[in-house]
Amino acid sequence: MNLLKLFFGPRDLGRTKTSGLVFAAFALMLLAVPAMVSDYEAMNFAFFLVNIPLGLSVALIWGYCGVLSFGQVAFFGLAGYFYGMVAGNMVGIPGSEIIGILAATGLSVFVAAILAYFLFFARVENWIIPVITLVFTLLLETFLSQTAGYQWRVGTVLLGGYNGMTGIPSMRFFSGDPLYGYSFYYYALGFVILLFIGLRLFVNSKYGLVVVAMRENLQRTELLGYDVRVWQFGVFLLAAVLASFSGVLYVQWGNYITPTQLGLVAAAQPVIWAAIGGRSSLFAVSIATILMTWFTFALSTQGSQLSLVFIGAATVIAIMLFKDGVITSIWEKIAVLFSGSR
Amino acid sequence: MDLVPLLVSLLYQGLATAAFLILCSIGLMIILGMMNIINLAHGEIMMIGAYVSTILVSSGVPFFVTLPVCFIAGCLAGYLIEQLFIRFLYDRLMSALVVTWGLGLILAQGTLMIFGPFMPSIEIPFGSIQYGDFTFSVYQIFLIIVAFGALLGLHYLLHKTPVGLKTRATMQLPEIARTIGIDQHRMYSLSFAFGSGLAAFAGGVLAPTTTIAPFMGTQFVAPAFITVVVGGAHNIITGTLYSASALTAVKTPVGMFLGSFAGTVGLFIAALVLIRLCPNGLSSIKVFRTS
Amino acid sequence: MKIDENQSVKTHDESGESATQNSHSESRREFLKTSSVAGAVLVAPSIITSGIAMAQDNGPVKIGHLEDLSGNLAVYGVQKDHAAQLAVAEINAGLTLKGGPIGTGGAGVFSSAATQPPLMGAGTGDLNYLDDGGDRSNETVAFVEDDEILVDSGDDGILGRPVELINLDGQSNNNIWQQLTRKLIQGDKVDCLVAGFTSAEREAIRPIVDQFNQLYIYTNQYEGGVADANTFCTGAICEQQVIPVVDYMVKKFGPRIYTVAADYNFGQLTAAWTKATAPLVGGEIIEEEFVPLSESNFSTTIARIQAAKPDWVFTLLVGTNQSNYYPQAAAAGLEYPMASTVNMAQGYEHRRFSTPSLNRMHNCINYIEEIPTKRNRDFVKRWYKMFPDDPYIGQMAQNTYFSVHLYAKAARLAGTTEQEAVKRALETGMTIEAPEGAVFMEPATHHAGHWIRLAVADENHNVSFLREWPMITPWWLQRMGVNLVGKKEYKQYVPDEDPYFTMFSN
Repeated sequence: MNLLKLFFGPRDLGRTKTSGLVFAAFALMLLAVPAMVSDYEAMNFAFFLVNIPLGLSVALIWGYCGVLSFGQVAFFGLAGYFYGMVAGNMVGIPGSEIIGILAATGLSVFVAAILAYFLFFARVENWIIPVITLVFTLLLETFLSQTAGYQWRVGTVLLGGYNGMTGIPSMRFFSGDPLYGYSFYYYALGFVILLFIGLRLFVNSKYGLVVVAMRENLQRTELLGYDVRVWQFGVFLLAAVLASFSGVLYVQWGNYITPTQLGLVAAAQPVIWAAIGGRSSLFAVSIATILMTWFTFALSTQGSQLSLVFIGAATVIAIMLFKDGVITSIWEKIAVLFSGSR
Repeated sequence: MDLVPLLVSLLYQGLATAAFLILCSIGLMIILGMMNIINLAHGEIMMIGAYVSTILVSSGVPFFVTLPVCFIAGCLAGYLIEQLFIRFLYDRLMSALVVTWGLGLILAQGTLMIFGPFMPSIEIPFGSIQYGDFTFSVYQIFLIIVAFGALLGLHYLLHKTPVGLKTRATMQLPEIARTIGIDQHRMYSLSFAFGSGLAAFAGGVLAPTTTIAPFMGTQFVAPAFITVVVGGAHNIITGTLYSASALTAVKTPVGMFLGSFAGTVGLFIAALVLIRLCPNGLSSIKVFRTS
Repeated sequence: MKIDENQSVKTHDESGESATQNSHSESRREFLKTSSVAGAVLVAPSIITSGIAMAQDNGPVKIGHLEDLSGNLAVYGVQKDHAAQLAVAEINAGLTLKGGPIGTGGAGVFSSAATQPPLMGAGTGDLNYLDDGGDRSNETVAFVEDDEILVDSGDDGILGRPVELINLDGQSNNNIWQQLTRKLIQGDKVDCLVAGFTSAEREAIRPIVDQFNQLYIYTNQYEGGVADANTFCTGAICEQQVIPVVDYMVKKFGPRIYTVAADYNFGQLTAAWTKATAPLVGGEIIEEEFVPLSESNFSTTIARIQAAKPDWVFTLLVGTNQSNYYPQAAAAGLEYPMASTVNMAQGYEHRRFSTPSLNRMHNCINYIEEIPTKRNRDFVKRWYKMFPDDPYIGQMAQNTYFSVHLYAKAARLAGTTEQEAVKRALETGMTIEAPEGAVFMEPATHHAGHWIRLAVADENHNVSFLREWPMITPWWLQRMGVNLVGKKEYKQYVPDEDPYFTMFSN
């Protein structure tokens, strides 16, 4: 009961029990997707879900904590590579995939901790963080791009340079079949829904209150007795965990990762999703992530040179017309219609 | 190998790299320092400059005449972007970042569809001079002069003219500046246009040394951002100058003796370390600050 | 060696065509034509008789074509897309490129020929001229190219079915590539997939291709080494490009080589090839420098080259940023002769950069728009008739063009579009007469033997051809023991697996 109350807390869209129906409807729709599409379409659809934790990580660090980071793709990529190294060296051992997930997340978060130490304990100015995380990402990309050849290998796994690491093991539970199509879709969906619920509980808890307080006024939060350096450090690590989960899901989906995933273009993606959806709502960012990745894919199947223009235009229009993000604005309009109040 | 020509060559390479960093970042620095907006379409504005000069040169206009035109075209583009989009976003600066990303994408892909994948490049003027084992491009030396000249000119503009005074006032304490009658939004429009103009000018002046292609802007973005961050926003001129010099001092010798990859990695690591040592940018370590 | 004697070829061609008036079999026609020539004895493989006019499936034959039509790599993707469109239009109009499972090259003809092969630069050190040859003789058989390669296929589309091209846009984005590949294979159920510019794109989609045993043709020039039972690589690879050009450069300009390469797989592997093969032709690598793909300012690289004083520079630079090297090096007065395996033929740098940035740039390529043969001039004409606004026809575009035709020929040979059968047909040692010359699909390694030309740009960026190698077959994978007909594999070999190469790595 207490958890339920926490779930419908004040710091995300949907604070009433009736909005619980909307969430349930969304979850049902996502659950029903495989019934409507073929095996491979379910696999393609799973890609939209795979990106959600990455979007959520930006929502958490930027939307809730007020620190914009372009570096989330770095932890995404690191986790993908680490999973490939760990699971790839343990092929055939039951449970190796699960060990891979844990090890990859741990290693990636360790790297995040080093970076976060530089950022938050130096108390750098807020506007510098987006750029320095971007530099960090590009540094990793440059390094990974030149790791072709046999000297760059971990156990039996080649890093693969610019062409990427190939043959990364799919997800399986112990000695079950590798997940593909419908089964992978449900696995990703379960993963994402659990993460979403967990994160929603976190932001609505009293810890979430401190996080939001830091966004509103860092100095006052500090004067209230919180060590904001430690708190920001902690939130940054949590966001890195989320991004890492996305990275692991991604390589389990495509069995493949390249340094391009850490490039300039990729780094902007989750920030765009968060901005379009409404960055201070987990729900809005999740929906925007699905919609934007779907939109990009749908345009590419048209075989037209206009697709990037459309993506750019959609982004500009969404930001110009909807101050708080498209999903948040629409949600609040509807909420007003229904209840007369928010 | 003789030592003196090697040192001369190192100095030349260093200055050339610094000039490149300054030219990449100068327009971005103004917009960021003035308005706190991270302009992700910066590379595309530079691309516009390069296209303007390339198109004019291919229709017979002498190269050096095209440079002022680049500046004006950049100002116009910047002014339009500011009027149509940015001015609605002053209360939410991070949205401006996303909008400029979208605009950059439209500009680059639009250019691809209108002008095709490549333009024929402009011939590099002047030629080269030789010293010892090394030869030096005269145009590269010209670029060095232009880059440092632009910084000097900007210094003059900001510190010796009434407009500069108003600009600095708006930059440092916008609210106080408003109370003494400075139209803040007008200052913002002007500086966005001016910053874009400088970016396009830099694109034009760098055009002979680069491939003219719709997505050419991306090559400038990372160096520009790194220079700006290391420099900090306290003082545009010294920030850019110190930052470009410090980064070059790492990249050039490392690159010369260990190769390009080491040079690039050295640049990134230098940026990270400098920011840790000096979180508010190198411009903040000025000893005699009046404030 | 090649001697022009078109007159006699014509005669043989006509007799060949007339002998097959009532035949619907492209392959049989090839067989008859060839057998009428100069007493050549060829045995038709029994697979040919297995019925062209067999049961036909309903609906169009689907060729999936995936390239980047937007984004950074669109410059190459749009060309390749146009190439596929041209080839499909020709197939649907009942046309085909000559060729069949008859081995390498065209028919032999009687002609005048030298009794001794001429020598290059004998005694004078000047390699530009053939300066020592034998007397002419009238009584010999010489190799010659057909001028007309586009002929009636005797078929509507493929096996009476129209060909539908499904062309999608990869947006220069690997994730999109994977999704679209699944859509093409599982959704559209394409009969043949033609896709891929970068090696990263190919490696992104190859696992999916192998999961469904999809027939896949990769048309790009690349670093080599893919041994995949489902993948057919029709672009040129290292052994076809690096060794000829290094050999020429060492003899002409001297042994000291400075390599500047892009710091990623293609650049590193090609540099490894150069390092390992230069000693075979008397060269040595005095320095190797790897440049990150993001680098666009080359003043340091230029100074390093000047300090090293090589005889010539091997540039393996890739992408928009890195091609800045050429104008910058020219402006800095760097006047070393250059060689490459990538520039000019892909991104037409000699048309884009102001002169003389690419002066003395040497490149061994399998295709370049400037090839003067009649068959290529005709191809160029056909292309610009269909796409008058295109800036250039690159090497990969030509590869895609003949690859689509090659697929059509293989499907006709197999008598079905069933993919395993078409793969087997592609493994019969097929030759296709492409605009570049005869291209041979080597069965064991699934790579193509090419007509390789050494092209050079002068100070006005005019292209001329210094040497021609009418057929260089891909041999490295055979050396590694690959035989995809006998043993199926799905991997990419790298030079580090070859003990010969590890002798040179450090």
